[in-house]
Amino acid sequence: MKILAFDTSNKPLSVAVVVDGKILAHIESTEKKTHSVSLLPDIKDTLKKSNLTINDIDLIAVAKGPGSYTGVRIAVTVAKTLADTLQKKLVGVSSLELLAADGDESHVLVPLMDARNDNAFAGVYIHKDGKLVNVLADQHTSMEKLFDTLKPYQESELEFVNATPRLQELIQNQYPNAKVIMSEDSLPDASKLAKLAETTKPVSDVDNFIPTYLRLTQAEHDWYAKGHKEDKNVSYVEEI
Amino acid sequence: MSFESSCDETSVAVIKNGNEILSNIIATQIKSHQRFGGVVPEVASRHHVEEITTCINMALDEAKVGYEDLDAVAVTYGPGLVGSLLIGIMAAKTVAFAHDLPLIKVNHLAGHIYSANFVTDLKYPFMALLVSGGHTEIVSVTAPGVFHTLGDTRDDAVGEAYDKIGRILGINYPAGKKVDQMAAVGNDVFDFPRAMVQEDNLDFSFSGLKSAVINRVHHADQIHEDLNKDDVAASFQGAVLDILTNKTFRALKQHPVNQLIVAGGVSANQGLRKRLAEEIEKRNLDIELVFPPLRLCGDNAAMIGAMAQIQYDKGDFADLTVNADPSLDFDME
Ligand SMILES: [Zn+2]
Repeated sequence: MKILAFDTSNKPLSVAVVVDGKILAHIESTEKKTHSVSLLPDIKDTLKKSNLTINDIDLIAVAKGPGSYTGVRIAVTVAKTLADTLQKKLVGVSSLELLAADGDESHVLVPLMDARNDNAFAGVYIHKDGKLVNVLADQHTSMEKLFDTLKPYQESELEFVNATPRLQELIQNQYPNAKVIMSEDSLPDASKLAKLAETTKPVSDVDNFIPTYLRLTQAEHDWYAKGHKEDKNVSYVEEI
Repeated sequence: MSFESSCDETSVAVIKNGNEILSNIIATQIKSHQRFGGVVPEVASRHHVEEITTCINMALDEAKVGYEDLDAVAVTYGPGLVGSLLIGIMAAKTVAFAHDLPLIKVNHLAGHIYSANFVTDLKYPFMALLVSGGHTEIVSVTAPGVFHTLGDTRDDAVGEAYDKIGRILGINYPAGKKVDQMAAVGNDVFDFPRAMVQEDNLDFSFSGLKSAVINRVHHADQIHEDLNKDDVAASFQGAVLDILTNKTFRALKQHPVNQLIVAGGVSANQGLRKRLAEEIEKRNLDIELVFPPLRLCGDNAAMIGAMAQIQYDKGDFADLTVNADPSLDFDME
């Protein structure tokens, strides 16, 4: 199976071509790149280095969020358009799961994305029979609530992945001895994304494939807070 | 195949030779943004991602063409909302890359002007009055794809002023059509200010007019005076039309041409259509007045395909690094 995988959920950009489990080419950048500018040229380069064309690819794998709203949308738009226009299989993998794939197999992995004000996008993953298994669904949560949820686990089992200095500080107050991987040391790796995609069910409806934001927009949040309810009979977008 | 996603419409079209619409799919988000009283950028971007491949497939189906029939891919790259622009840009780049087609990046304002290409043969030089929720400009087009901005708004765009007036009159967003209808039955009795009409430049200003209307309505509320809303609408629109007409004919005097194109969302305004036709007749001018059909007044991908043909003929192609330019204007290119 020939897989093209890419991730632009956060600042780093990563693209990989993996064929039957073997990494043929791999672009990873930590420098500040504009994803909207770089993504397609980087996909083109990665294919060229692999001596493949886009037509040779069997499956498109994308990190579907959570993450930077714009970043996730850029990757998801390219992935769904590619899959649709060339009739390729499409797999969306959680951006948190991809971060967890960087963690130590013997630990309970808690991938994080700092969502400011001591909140984070977080999930809990463990390795079981050589596979990464999600045991706490990805969510937007306060760190305090996250620590509550983690109570069943031993401090020594826990490994937090992709912490910012502020999140690290909060973690160390709660778990002075837990393992913490900082964000500069936990770069999402698209070749790992390709590996995760092999065991993930392909998207059945490409048109309706959307990013996983895990948060309403502020405007919608405020609208619901005023007591409004979504009217199932109204289509918010309509063809005219 | 052309893409347009600069604001709250996701649109994909297939255009032949710049003047024949094979398909022009438009998915509008108006009902969503009506919940918030105006376009919310993050909500708009999310809807664009939901709609994009559906629109692509509908455009191909309706045009009865396949990717092998396409010669180029075109996309709006500005001006507009950055998060919205990016969805069309990424999708267009992906289609161009996947099918090895040339890519053309199109200025949204140029697209609006070239929507007239579906109505008539354009004769250079011509003048364009571009009026929408984001823009109010007088543009001289001296040759295919050669634009000179002669006048611009100093503050609000005209369509924006309509929406704000609509809000205080209790009209749901977008308010342009309703205000136009109310104006048709009301009378211009309030004598609102006509900003800058005495000044010898071609620029517009609508914020003073907007404030005058809002103050008048608030004042009436305070003293429990029952204002005739139709008269408010008619007085507001009367001032708008005086300002637009004054500057447009000033421009035509300085740069005589035989075609005046009126484009953008506000070009659907019946009062504006009627007034400009009357003024041309009154002044005895030999000017063909061109309005795009109503469906092409708002944002749509067909107009992007019309402009793209000119760039295609010039060999003006872009590469895969194209990015959104939210504040793009003619003079920056
Ligand atoms: Zn427009």
